[in-house]
Amino acid sequence: MINTTRTRNTWKRWTQAWQQVDWQLFLAAISLTIFASIVIGSTLINLEETILGWNHLILGGICTIVALWISRCRYENLLKWQWVIYAAVNLSLVAVIFMGSTGLGAQRWIPIFGFNVQPSEFAKLGVIITMAAMLRDRDASTLMGVCRALAVVAVPWALVFVQPDLGTSLVFGAICLGMLYWANVNPGWLVIMVSPLVAAIMFHVSIPIWLVWSVGMGLIAWFTLPWRIVCTVMVTAVNLVSGKLGEVFWGLLKDYQKDRLILFLNPDKDPLGGGYHLIQSRIAIGAGQLWGKGLHNGTQTQLNFIPEQHTDFIFSAIGEEFGFIGAMLVVTAFWFICLRLIIIAQNAKDNFGSLIAVGVLSMIVFQVAVNIGMTIGLAPVTGIPLPWVSYGRSALVTNFLALGIVESIANHRHRLRFGD
Amino acid sequence: MVSSALEFMATLFPPRRRRSPAQFSPPPRQKQRRVVVSPRRRVLIVWGALMVAALLLLGRLAHLQVLEGSTLHSIASQQQARPQRPAIARRPIVDSNGMLLAADRIVYTLYGHPMLFQQPIGVIASTLSPLLDVPPEQLATQLKQQPSGVRLLDGISEDTARRVRQLRLNGLELIPEQQRFYPQQDLFSQIVGFVNLDGEAQTGLEVAFKNRLSLPHSAVARSFGSATIPIAELITNQADPLQLTVDGRLQRVAQEALRKTLREHGAKRGTVMVMEVNSGAIHALAVEPTFDPNRYFDANLDWLKNWALTDLYEPGSTLKPINIAIALDAGAIDPDDTVYDDGRITIGPWTIQNSDYEATGRQGTLTITDVLKYSSNVGMVRIMNQMPATEFYAWLEKLGIDEPTAIDLPAENVAPLKDREQFVNSTVEVATTAFGQGIAMTPIKLLQLQAAIANGGKLVTPHVVRGVVDDDGTLKWQPLRPAPRQVFSPEAANAVLKMMEAVVETGTGKAAQIPGYRVAGKTGTAQKVTEAGVYGNGRITSFVGVVPVEAPRFVVLAVIDEPSGDNPYGSTVSAPLVKTVMESLVVLEGIPPSSAQALGSGVILPQVAPAGGDSN
Repeated sequence: MINTTRTRNTWKRWTQAWQQVDWQLFLAAISLTIFASIVIGSTLINLEETILGWNHLILGGICTIVALWISRCRYENLLKWQWVIYAAVNLSLVAVIFMGSTGLGAQRWIPIFGFNVQPSEFAKLGVIITMAAMLRDRDASTLMGVCRALAVVAVPWALVFVQPDLGTSLVFGAICLGMLYWANVNPGWLVIMVSPLVAAIMFHVSIPIWLVWSVGMGLIAWFTLPWRIVCTVMVTAVNLVSGKLGEVFWGLLKDYQKDRLILFLNPDKDPLGGGYHLIQSRIAIGAGQLWGKGLHNGTQTQLNFIPEQHTDFIFSAIGEEFGFIGAMLVVTAFWFICLRLIIIAQNAKDNFGSLIAVGVLSMIVFQVAVNIGMTIGLAPVTGIPLPWVSYGRSALVTNFLALGIVESIANHRHRLRFGD
Repeated sequence: MVSSALEFMATLFPPRRRRSPAQFSPPPRQKQRRVVVSPRRRVLIVWGALMVAALLLLGRLAHLQVLEGSTLHSIASQQQARPQRPAIARRPIVDSNGMLLAADRIVYTLYGHPMLFQQPIGVIASTLSPLLDVPPEQLATQLKQQPSGVRLLDGISEDTARRVRQLRLNGLELIPEQQRFYPQQDLFSQIVGFVNLDGEAQTGLEVAFKNRLSLPHSAVARSFGSATIPIAELITNQADPLQLTVDGRLQRVAQEALRKTLREHGAKRGTVMVMEVNSGAIHALAVEPTFDPNRYFDANLDWLKNWALTDLYEPGSTLKPINIAIALDAGAIDPDDTVYDDGRITIGPWTIQNSDYEATGRQGTLTITDVLKYSSNVGMVRIMNQMPATEFYAWLEKLGIDEPTAIDLPAENVAPLKDREQFVNSTVEVATTAFGQGIAMTPIKLLQLQAAIANGGKLVTPHVVRGVVDDDGTLKWQPLRPAPRQVFSPEAANAVLKMMEAVVETGTGKAAQIPGYRVAGKTGTAQKVTEAGVYGNGRITSFVGVVPVEAPRFVVLAVIDEPSGDNPYGSTVSAPLVKTVMESLVVLEGIPPSSAQALGSGVILPQVAPAGGDSN
């Protein structure tokens, strides 16, 4: 009797540390990882490298344990380390420029202890933590707060952009927008932030729309920004100039980058070149039909028509081998993860936790939407991996670390705890 | 949709009474106008954005996979570079010693898609060059031709393919193909036949045993459909093989000896066959010229068929022992009888003479043995005239001259017998048939008939297939064959065999003597019928030999078509060839030498026997 009580108490003491953890979120992420390792094995069966599937599974297991450990730690401790994290992120990104190994036309990896590490993946998490720390006490409702946060993010963003890693820099942008919005920024300001990009595109589509757009942005500035006259003129001017500037920047891009950005609109224009991945991926997914061809039976998958299929294009293998049902289940799993993240963000005990959760949410939503969108012809090819699913050690570790931190936020959501 | 979802969310996140901890307090000193987003509205908008994104993705997926699914599915099927042909995996074929004669293997064709290369063509070419054993310049030239679908090399082995794959270069594609491979090249092509590049069996056993050779389709389709080819290869190589009765070592000796004979005598074609007399098991079946089944497309079309089965010829004197056996069995003659040979004989408008008439003239009184020994045509006519033509005809029918031997190889041919009325009423038909002209059969049929002399009168079914065997060589399946049919009495057959021994000992077959062994035989030098239907200058020489006479085990038949030169006779062209094959045969089969007195000369083991006997 005494023994059982003690056992129960030991058990209680053990589990107590995870009392408030969101198990559903954990379960969804782990299920995706296990499923992914099966699909990765399938895509590589012809290359006799199914071992990568096992790698994914084993690393996922280790990361789960790490995430569990993180979730019982207090995430507030991160605040003490925010500048260390920020410095580490920037230094590792600089290291890539000097000693990175080249792959697929860009420098992305640095060797650490014999592993190829991709610092831009970890930088995503670093940016989330840094921004959350910045916006924690002085939110983005002032222009000053916004500028401060943007200035801090600008450094790693620039370092990633010059690698060049367009995909990751876009993820940074999405994280910024999401977190700023959550930090009560004036929505008009967000629109103004994105407006030059839109103006650059409008300039190509139609001159009148570009003009109307610029004027519209000026109006938004008039109503939302301080120093009305100066700001309105500036915003309108920037939008007008962006039209031409966009062309200049476009000219600076390499051909393959241009192709990646626009070919998804009409991949048949260059079926043997940049459109190849897009067409093949769309055919593979479509060929899966409702129920899929079954594991290892995807002919496009197995004949290696789609390059890099275990990484960025893994969703095409899922679509082909598991059909609409399988693809729908994966999308639903991500939707569910995002739902849990929103709930955690809403219930967090402080701004820091809430903002981190929203940062992770933005990262996941953007990556999932763009990655899946890319395989089904809705988004350009940007080299963004599918969280927990694409093969890539740095990405997998980053996603699990983010999961651990978010779970810590859920776990410690009560401000104070009295007794047991 | 979105609005209703928002309503739903509103119930999930009820407005809180106490201030939410995540809500930001407005900064105290604020000058500009602000739009303050309420926490509840904020979360609803975020959630709404999420729903829109998810629905957009799902909508597009449904469009692609459900609405356009079948279209894209057919595009995907078309894209397989290799049309989905029914992949039939076949059993291996082995010889009587287990030597591999035919097996499935996987070969790859390497395609390059330069547009997907991530390195310059030159780099790719020099990386591939050592693996493919092709100069880098040649690869580079090929790759520069078009942006996609450059066929770089075919027939790539599994091993090389693996190394190419391990380079992990984008833009290279290895298309696997199942291919039948014949490691013995041309040695067994006339028996085993071949499967063409489209996977269809074309000749030989591949056709005759098509169903038995093909493996259960389900096991193969599964592994082939997903292109995990190494597994498919494993399946076929683990399958129990089809074993032949043919001995590869003897086959090689026969093939090489035959090739040499054809070269020496400038002959058009030839065949040499070794058959076990009691079972009909064929131990060697060589045909020249022949082809390499791995490169059948380079072969002359005429060589693809096994003419020993498909082509009819007039056997000539090699048929004489059969006719004597008929006469003996019919009671027309006794073994001790004699006939008078005046060298030539006139039947109606035709004159028949011995082949050596010009040199020797009349032979005088001959024993039956002498008739064979000197291959006397006139003597044969006299013998066969001692029985009624109707009875002779009935015997030919009984022997099944116009029926196939039922050998287990395809495309066997038969010649119908001449019309019964014509045969019986025309004395010349009987006369020519007596010495093997005017009657046609395939070499394999003649072999079967000769075996009946050697085995005590039974007509056995020649065959090359032993059956399906497992790892230990135990038979798991054996083809059904007709039982041997007794056609001659053992006494008659044995009597003829003794006469044939005399042919080798002292007659026209001396060239086939093997010191220490008792060999029986008979030569044959037939005139060929030209396309116009008359006898021309072309000859077809043959020799049939039986070893060992005291307990006959093997019959060997060599047929050489159109040998040229001064002296093309069965005795000079075919007999030495049979001797060469027999010498190896007795060694391989471990046939002990007969008693020393068999040949009167000293017993010499075949290994050290001096080459060649005296000619004719």
